Amino acid sequence: MSAPVRPKPFLEPMYCKGCLRCIDACPRDCITPGTEINPATGLVPVRLHLENCNGCTLCIQACPEPYGLRLETEPPGFEGDFVLEDPAKLFGEKCVPIHSEGDLPDNHIALPACEAMVLKGNYAAAIGALLAGCRHFFGYPITPSTEGAELMAKILPRLNGSFVQAVSEVAAVNMMYGTGGAGLPCMTFTSSPGFSLMLEGISYMIGAEVPGVFVNIMRAGPGLGNIAPEQSDIKLACRGLGHGNTRAIVLAPSTPQEMLDLTREAFALAFRYRNPVVILGDGFLGQMTGKVRLPATMIRPGLPAWAVWGDRAHRHNLINSIALAETDLEAHNHHLNRKYAAISACEQRVDCYRCADAEVLVIACNTPARMAKGAVEAARAQGVKAGLFRPITLWPFPIDTLAEILPGVHRIVVVEAGPGQLEDELRLALSHAGIAPPPIDYVRRCGGFLPPQAEILAGILAPEEVPA
Amino acid sequence: MSAFYDHFSRHAHGEGLKAHSTHYCPGCGHGVAHCDLADAIDELGIQDRTVLISPVGCSVFAYYYFDVGNSQAAHGRAPAVALGHKLAHPEAVVICYQGDGDLASIGLAETISIAQMGLPITVIFINNAIYGMTGGQLAPTSLMGQNTTTSPGGRNATMGQPLKMAELIAQLDGPVYVERVALFDTRERVKARKAIKKAITNQLEGRGYSFIEIIAECPTHLKMTPQEAVEWVKTKMEPVFPLGVKKDLTVEPWFKRDAPVFEPEAVLGLSGAEPRREEEVRPAPTWPAHLPARDVAIKLAGSGGDGAQTAALLLTRAAIAEGYDATAIPSYGPESRGGTSYADVHIAEFEVLDPAAPEPHALIAFNAPSLAKFAATVPEGGLILYDSTVITAPGDLPENRRIIPVPFTGIAVDLGRAMVKNVVALGALQAALNLLPEGSVLATLHHVLKDKPALLPLNEAAFAAGHQAVMAAQVPV
Ligand code: SF4
Ligand code: SF4
Ligand code: SF4
Repeated sequence: MSAPVRPKPFLEPMYCKGCLRCIDACPRDCITPGTEINPATGLVPVRLHLENCNGCTLCIQACPEPYGLRLETEPPGFEGDFVLEDPAKLFGEKCVPIHSEGDLPDNHIALPACEAMVLKGNYAAAIGALLAGCRHFFGYPITPSTEGAELMAKILPRLNGSFVQAVSEVAAVNMMYGTGGAGLPCMTFTSSPGFSLMLEGISYMIGAEVPGVFVNIMRAGPGLGNIAPEQSDIKLACRGLGHGNTRAIVLAPSTPQEMLDLTREAFALAFRYRNPVVILGDGFLGQMTGKVRLPATMIRPGLPAWAVWGDRAHRHNLINSIALAETDLEAHNHHLNRKYAAISACEQRVDCYRCADAEVLVIACNTPARMAKGAVEAARAQGVKAGLFRPITLWPFPIDTLAEILPGVHRIVVVEAGPGQLEDELRLALSHAGIAPPPIDYVRRCGGFLPPQAEILAGILAPEEVPA
Repeated sequence: MSAFYDHFSRHAHGEGLKAHSTHYCPGCGHGVAHCDLADAIDELGIQDRTVLISPVGCSVFAYYYFDVGNSQAAHGRAPAVALGHKLAHPEAVVICYQGDGDLASIGLAETISIAQMGLPITVIFINNAIYGMTGGQLAPTSLMGQNTTTSPGGRNATMGQPLKMAELIAQLDGPVYVERVALFDTRERVKARKAIKKAITNQLEGRGYSFIEIIAECPTHLKMTPQEAVEWVKTKMEPVFPLGVKKDLTVEPWFKRDAPVFEPEAVLGLSGAEPRREEEVRPAPTWPAHLPARDVAIKLAGSGGDGAQTAALLLTRAAIAEGYDATAIPSYGPESRGGTSYADVHIAEFEVLDPAAPEPHALIAFNAPSLAKFAATVPEGGLILYDSTVITAPGDLPENRRIIPVPFTGIAVDLGRAMVKNVVALGALQAALNLLPEGSVLATLHHVLKDKPALLPLNEAAFAAGHQAVMAAQVPV
């Protein structure tokens, strides 16, 4: 019986980089260094002399180039007894064209009517995430956000979900990059110093268009600061999500109910725009227990067509934030800018309280907005036409509604438990919109204090000369 | 015919030669390792299931070549991204491909922590003892004495000695299989292919985490010909990074994940939600006229074991059940660990605005420091209840407040458990403040103790005794 005839290697000279790694690999000295420069590559390809070649493929295994040395699968006149054990395995997988099946849509499941719950803000956000179909949590414990993670640690394993306490926030955000890139809803709970650590990963998520929900229960800074509430990360979330051209919808709840509702909503927004969404709560809100009603439906998430899922339908997908060519990266940034413009146009949210005839407009969000509402009531009781403008999206800032209200406003009072970051957002939004605002005053506390209602009231009543 | 794309359309848009050649330098070890990996994917028939994580480094563009699901990770974070993919879709075969700067320097924390978690992913580590992408700087695996652009006089000990990752990873309990292989000759290449295949098979079979370190050539930054680089790896690197299996546990397949649950009953049940009760429709009570405002703040203060937080939550629940708005907010953090623990409760007819209680209408003080700290914050006309068992010398208390000493602890001890002093206090508050309808707090107690009915009589008795103590002491409101 004759020895089986095996196919021999062949080489397209232009795909050879002339590294010569194949030469030592050949036990039969079939390959020699070349002598001529290939005009297409400027490199010197090797030469094959296959008279003694037995098709052992050792040279191919030594060759670094995928299209360098290869086996001639059907050499001219090849009539060997070489049998492919499973053609589908060797050829079929790639020859089947990949049809994207499109997005697998979310499934909205009706919930039975439930009693109003009495929940801590952090728990409410966690339950909002569960109802949004989130079954993957990645995080690192940090006060005052930890209860959210703890509840997820308790519940997720029983729903066959994943709870991972990562080695750091840096690892956690990149786990989100993985699960989000696989097309599933995922989230984290964190607080200011932890959020700082996540910014690198958030930039990558935005660049690669990966959805994910970040609940940041802000605490007082800078540095380690303390664990008391402060609106300390408005700047980071609205202006500083890591390096590059980054934007994310920033939601600012002010009640446990909104912690649930906005967290649930955040997942829909994250997938609608293929972008992270940030929920900024403050330490008070995370810890506060209040009444929370459950929504009428919960979601079983589908799977977007772009997901890197690990099956045939999604095999051609890529999650990636690198674009080497300047033209490609500029085009990608233009694409992101169009997305940001669409978000700015469609997603501004605000709660206006007695704004219609307001002459003194108080602007506040999160827990300070509650104190501010009390102060507005008190001011009204004293005959001062005060109103509360409470942005629910901090980015995009709800400038369109503000522009409608401002003509009647004599003075703005920005109320913050923080160093003035909300006011910066306000001023930027006004400036971009080309609106000359009335005088802007502020009532601020920081370091962990919230501006009490009495101080806000004094700020509203401040005997400022209002220019005509 | 292989796990490589037919056409590298992501490499310079697939124009010209780039459609079929890599961006790697001639003789680069990455190319050989890529071919080994592609063959393994092909031979195992897992091309459709594979998700490859490209790192930062020269192999940042691995996704140009592999016709599999691709994700490109931030520098050092590939294992975290890999874990995210594996947990999202456990059927996916997740392969994490990293160089030495990525895996052994900037990503060390991710590398070690995720190896230790032991989930079945496959890590391919290319150690070429130098930074390629950034241009020849010192790597964590550079050899002692090795000249690089950032160790111009040669690496010395204060720069750190070469990190032996395979040995380090093998020490961990998480991984099941760790091997160091090389590409410098046919024998080693055959072993490398076998190792890669085994590392992926371990994942396919759900046996656990596998780590393959490949010592490889970077001719460009060693400033050598490919042949010299091969020789250098063999004679200089190999003695520092000895080849071989570092760990190979026999582990039965264990990794299996059931599909996530989306049954409303399960989600609601675990969240603590309860179906709407039929008899719920009760007319909202009218807000008591004797109260000074439509939003009443109550501060409960004591030390950690006094149950102030629990009492605050009971009160909040009771108020919400009556249709009022209510909030509770604890003091938290180190403050609550240090001895005083307090909770602020607001009950409002319509909406609680400020949830804090800097000037509470009512104060319940369980110990002397709490009374001393907060008594003065109660405005005129306000109510101060304190535990007269514990606070025997209340000191100077502000005037024009209703001050009612009640022996919370004494009563609770008489009933058999000091623990219920917070419920005694709630009974006292009910009698003194008369905010919620009679029976409101008791109904809430019934509800929260429905799974522990044995505790109910004691709590009911405590509430009644607290109530009684105030009624006996004076005429309430
Ligand atoms: S297949 Fe074997 S014998 Fe033929 S050229 Fe390659 S290494 Fe030499
Ligand atoms: S190993 Fe490949 S690229 Fe290198 S010389 Fe041989 S054929 Fe050319
Ligand atoms: S620089 Fe080194 S590691 Fe990078 S491609 Fe070139 S040879 Fe390979």
